[in-house]
Amino acid sequence: MQSHCYEFGLREPIRVLAVPVAVVAGFAAAMHASAWFGWLPAPWPALDVDRTVLVHQAHAARSRQDATVLLLGDSSCLMDVCARTLSRAFGQPTLNLGTLSYVDLDTQALLLRSYLHANPGQVHTVVLLLHPETMRLAPVDSWQSRALRAMLEDRDYWPGDTTFDRLARLLGLDRVHNRLLARWLPRPLPGAWGRRYGFTAQLHHYLTAHRGSAVDPETKPASGRPEYRLAPELRRAAGQFRHVIPAQTRLVAGITPLPEGFAGVGYPQRYQSMLADWGAWLQADAVLTNLPATLPDHWFAQKTHLNQAGQRAYTHMLAAALRGTLSN
Amino acid sequence: MLFNSAVFFQFFAAVLLLAWLMRGHRTACNWLIVVASYLFYGWWDWRFLGLLLFSSLLDFGLGLGLARCQKPAGRKALLATSLICNLGILGLFKYHDFFAESLAAVLNRLGVAVHYSTLGLVLPVGISFYTFQSMSYTFDVYRGTMVPTRSLVHFLAFVSFFPQLVAGPIERAAHLLPQFAQTRRITVAMLEEGVWLLIWGLFKKVVLADNLAPLVDLVYGGTEYQGPAVVLGTIAFGLQIYCDFSGYSDMARGAARLLGFDIMWNFRLPYTATNLRDFWRRWHISLSTWLRDYLYISLGGNRRGPARTYLNLWLTMLLGGLWHGAAWNFVLWGAWHGLGLMVHRLLSSLGLTQAPPAHGMAARGSKLARAAAWLGTMLCVFYGWLLFRARSLDQIVCMTAALTDWTAPVWLGSYAINLVVLAMPLVLMQWWQHRTGDLLAPLRLRRWAVGLLEGLLVVAILLFWEKASVPFIYFQF
Repeated sequence: MQSHCYEFGLREPIRVLAVPVAVVAGFAAAMHASAWFGWLPAPWPALDVDRTVLVHQAHAARSRQDATVLLLGDSSCLMDVCARTLSRAFGQPTLNLGTLSYVDLDTQALLLRSYLHANPGQVHTVVLLLHPETMRLAPVDSWQSRALRAMLEDRDYWPGDTTFDRLARLLGLDRVHNRLLARWLPRPLPGAWGRRYGFTAQLHHYLTAHRGSAVDPETKPASGRPEYRLAPELRRAAGQFRHVIPAQTRLVAGITPLPEGFAGVGYPQRYQSMLADWGAWLQADAVLTNLPATLPDHWFAQKTHLNQAGQRAYTHMLAAALRGTLSN
Repeated sequence: MLFNSAVFFQFFAAVLLLAWLMRGHRTACNWLIVVASYLFYGWWDWRFLGLLLFSSLLDFGLGLGLARCQKPAGRKALLATSLICNLGILGLFKYHDFFAESLAAVLNRLGVAVHYSTLGLVLPVGISFYTFQSMSYTFDVYRGTMVPTRSLVHFLAFVSFFPQLVAGPIERAAHLLPQFAQTRRITVAMLEEGVWLLIWGLFKKVVLADNLAPLVDLVYGGTEYQGPAVVLGTIAFGLQIYCDFSGYSDMARGAARLLGFDIMWNFRLPYTATNLRDFWRRWHISLSTWLRDYLYISLGGNRRGPARTYLNLWLTMLLGGLWHGAAWNFVLWGAWHGLGLMVHRLLSSLGLTQAPPAHGMAARGSKLARAAAWLGTMLCVFYGWLLFRARSLDQIVCMTAALTDWTAPVWLGSYAINLVVLAMPLVLMQWWQHRTGDLLAPLRLRRWAVGLLEGLLVVAILLFWEKASVPFIYFQF
């Protein structure tokens, strides 16, 4: 007995599917051609928290600014120091170009180079602040680093290498996301980030208003073992970074704090020796030895970031430390 | 296996190809559907295939028993066996922990110290859907409204039919079961409808529902609420759950059409309803008709006087709420709708829901009255969504209280932009379907225009496709 029969031949399914397939192909061709001929706006892939921070810092580094003091570093630099407060406390216009712990030092150097190129002869001090966790892990060639490099060069970048990611690039979907949707349609941020900032657009505005600084809204208990050391790979990167600093600009090195309860009693000594080595590797003009290695636990959002109260306190400590260091 | 995953489309292409190869052999093709359906279900967790098989064999056997048994007491016993076993399984997996916790909480409040242990069982996906589908067969055979099938493969295919297995529509045996015994004719119109529904359903899920979800989470994931955010968040949730569930139902119908089957429409533009009764004729139709036919009527329906009718109505909706999940907010949601239906029935009986005559000035009044009725219905429905989506009774109280606080969060503008952009395609499509009175209105366009529209929807789907497929909301029910 027959189960079912088809009242059409093979041509019908082909006819039904041909137009949609042609539309998809036409769309892909149009996107690639538009990007090629420069008809689409430049990439602005503020699609999530990480990429909004990177877009902001890349844009800030490439535009005219008044800052004479630059903060560079990982996410602890981004979130432990308020550049707006520091500008007032230190009396020098300061810009925070801190990014994420996944961004390697070579890419930080590119970010600095962009700023120096856009604002020649203006910067007199570069403060490089890294967290002990970043110094232990020394990230290399993460997608965040690649994304930041692409942003600095106005290139499209789409993280991931699955079949779907390759298809997205082939169809030009990355261009739609990076150049159109991320610009025109703010994305809601997840969890605590959403509750604090709302959307990518509001996070971007906050970063601009606070001269590149943000506050970590997430509270997580510190976990892991605080056995910190400098990753040997950092020595080469530190040397490269030093080469980017112009002759008239001073490089100041610092290490951001750990929660007291997490760090353990021996950590302050370890901190001083790491700081000395780090200063030597960087050939830093000054090292921020007068900053605390640890701070009270209640000032931390998580082990790598201070909360808002901690940020306020640490920013004033940094201003005092910079005054002390730079007056010598 | 999720409809919005690449693996489903590979699986479905393979099923279509095998069905084409086996088109001359009905039994083989029905077995193909059974095997494919069990593979589809077992992809999630093969251990629960036993439950599906047990439920099917039980009702198949009871159906045959009902055919032989003529004594009313014996027939009642057979029906009771189906109810006890099916509802027992459902109760064990879905409601045991909820009732144990609730009972212990009540007793503890009364000063009776009770120690209890929860089972912590994983809820089998789609259990509420296939259990109800399987039970409805036994009910129908018991009532004599259908002849029991003697073919095991037909019955296994009916209960497990993969397009609608895990999130409905809850099909009736009288409609779906005979289709496995017929030679189905697959026409060009069915092919076009199937392709359109698969694309439109996937668009509603991947583009609309999955992008509305973070907007909803932004409001409902918080602990402090402001009126405008609660209102927009609840509208976003109302659209999300509709796009998510109706998207699944459309895809289910579309997949069935490509295999030559007809399954029911589960949604008929519910947000165009002008009263709650109308809403329930348009929303999750397969469940609301199931509740009407097997619960409301079994409770006595409207045959036992007005007071009992109101009670039956309310109880039916209360249990309908509980069907959605073992939590008090679902019970509250059911009670809210039950109350709304009671009020509507009361107003109808007093003649207060009749629209004025539709001519001259009265026609203008009629339009206004319809608009007011629509607005009132939507207020009721969307407040119901607040009850449905909230995580706790405390949250319901706080969010309701926040409706008096009209300070706006800084991100309200971005929120509104997102909501408008995501709602626009749905609103336009629903307006078109409503105006034409045709759920397949786009298919009345010229072939190239349909293809163009489908192509644009596919582009949008690819643009928003998440690497990790987001499960459908109704899978958890």
